Amino acid sequence: MGISFVTRPGPRPPQASLSGFERFFREQYPAVVRIAFGVTRDAHMAQDVAQDVFVSVLRRFPGPADTDRARAWVRVAAAHVALNMIRGERRRERREQLSGTEMAGTGPEEMVVDRESQAEVRQALSRLPRRAAAVLVLRHSGLSYAEVAEAMNVKVGQVGTMLRRAESALRKELQNASRT
Amino acid sequence: MHHVPSPQLRRLADEPLAVPDRALRHLSGCGRCQAEADEIAADVALAARTLGTPCDIGDVDLEWAMLQERLHEAGPVGSRAGGRLPRRLGRVSVSTGTVAAAAVVALGAGAAAALTTIYAPTHVAPVRVDQSDLQAVENITGLEPSQLAAGLPPSGSRSLAFGRLTWTTAGHARQVGSIARASALTHLAWSAPDALPPGVGPAGSAAIAPQVTATVSFSHSAGPGIAGSTLQITAGPAVVVQYGSTSANASPVTMAIAVMQRPVASSSGATASELEQFLRSRGGLPAGLAHELRLLGDPATTLPVPVLPGMTQQQLTIGGTPAVLVTAPSGVASAVIWESKDGTVHAVGGLLDKKDVLGVARQIG
Repeated sequence: MGISFVTRPGPRPPQASLSGFERFFREQYPAVVRIAFGVTRDAHMAQDVAQDVFVSVLRRFPGPADTDRARAWVRVAAAHVALNMIRGERRRERREQLSGTEMAGTGPEEMVVDRESQAEVRQALSRLPRRAAAVLVLRHSGLSYAEVAEAMNVKVGQVGTMLRRAESALRKELQNASRT
Repeated sequence: MHHVPSPQLRRLADEPLAVPDRALRHLSGCGRCQAEADEIAADVALAARTLGTPCDIGDVDLEWAMLQERLHEAGPVGSRAGGRLPRRLGRVSVSTGTVAAAAVVALGAGAAAALTTIYAPTHVAPVRVDQSDLQAVENITGLEPSQLAAGLPPSGSRSLAFGRLTWTTAGHARQVGSIARASALTHLAWSAPDALPPGVGPAGSAAIAPQVTATVSFSHSAGPGIAGSTLQITAGPAVVVQYGSTSANASPVTMAIAVMQRPVASSSGATASELEQFLRSRGGLPAGLAHELRLLGDPATTLPVPVLPGMTQQQLTIGGTPAVLVTAPSGVASAVIWESKDGTVHAVGGLLDKKDVLGVARQIG
């Protein structure tokens, strides 16, 4: 008889069979986490931010007709929620419990150095004007100028100006941090 | 021309094709603009180094499951999870949410009143079946066992001789990265055996099957007592973990352990007795199978385990609950199935003799 009672799962169904919100989640989740990570410098915290953002977007844009606006909204919301991030330890513990794995892969000494430098970046970002910090993490998470403009609700031509000022401000903040 | 504006110099670092040719021509001959371009390039490089660290986005399936869990816990629109919404929108949502919650409670109470659980097995029992029995089941229900074995689409419907069958699944059957994830996604507790039988390697893969809900809506042709009523059956979710081999020459899968939520059936209108009478009245149920079913005792609390011709079966207990051990003719394969007291159905099987299968079952049962 072998082990005939064991049913192997079939192939994943086509995307068309997914619910609209699940499809939206799966398409936008990587970008949202990358943006949040740009601020938090911590994968667990970034995943927590993404959870908050997707809970909120479902309430803000319940209809499928709002997909374009929702896409722009989750990206900028990821930046802002991450900048507000002060919570997350509770769900971090839950995630590690569920996944059964420690996600950090570096050695103890590297982790200490890494944590210090990541904390410096977080502090520098937190001292920047909010829109400057947001445009920085959106662009450096891999969004194009057009996507940054859509998320920030500005014209594409303004993105260069915003980025220039934000990067200059970031350099100054990092220089100040290294002096102290 | 005038000096190149800073935004254009900034964009030069990312999207040079978007910068006009005349600006590039000016830049090539202007020391002031080149100095600013160098400063901008240094700032861009610093920001990229600082912010461009690769990010582990995690397991999207797990995150989706966690989000669903959170949305379920948060309740309808306007609950605490939506607290970041603007105050005005929040007030509207609370009002909407209150109405939605009241509607859900009212509908839920109505549904609870209309649907009566008529089948919730508490223990397993063997039922001998042969090919003619399977053919008879096919004739009565219009469903081919081979179709069921091959897997139905995630949702769908089809006509039966006495009504209509519709089914939906809560997600997709798939492999997952770890047993812990499978357990988290299905909310099924998992106990791993401490010791594996000789020749059985470590767990090689974990798969989940979602909960399936099937609804039979009986048509008027079903006759009095049954016509117009609805039978709803839920089964799953399930977790299946396959174990490999310690030998390169042996079968890649030597053992599997499965855990699933017991199936439950509810009916609106027709009682269990009326449904049983209806099935008997359809005719075509072989006398032998009918006799086997009668031997089950109370059919509403028994999960039948089909035993095919040539197989031997033995009734015993695992963890204090009834279990059915099935062994292939030559003894090369065995499986044991039992339902624990919390309503979870367990199965251990593989290319093992019955002592090894029972040894594993008693570790986790």
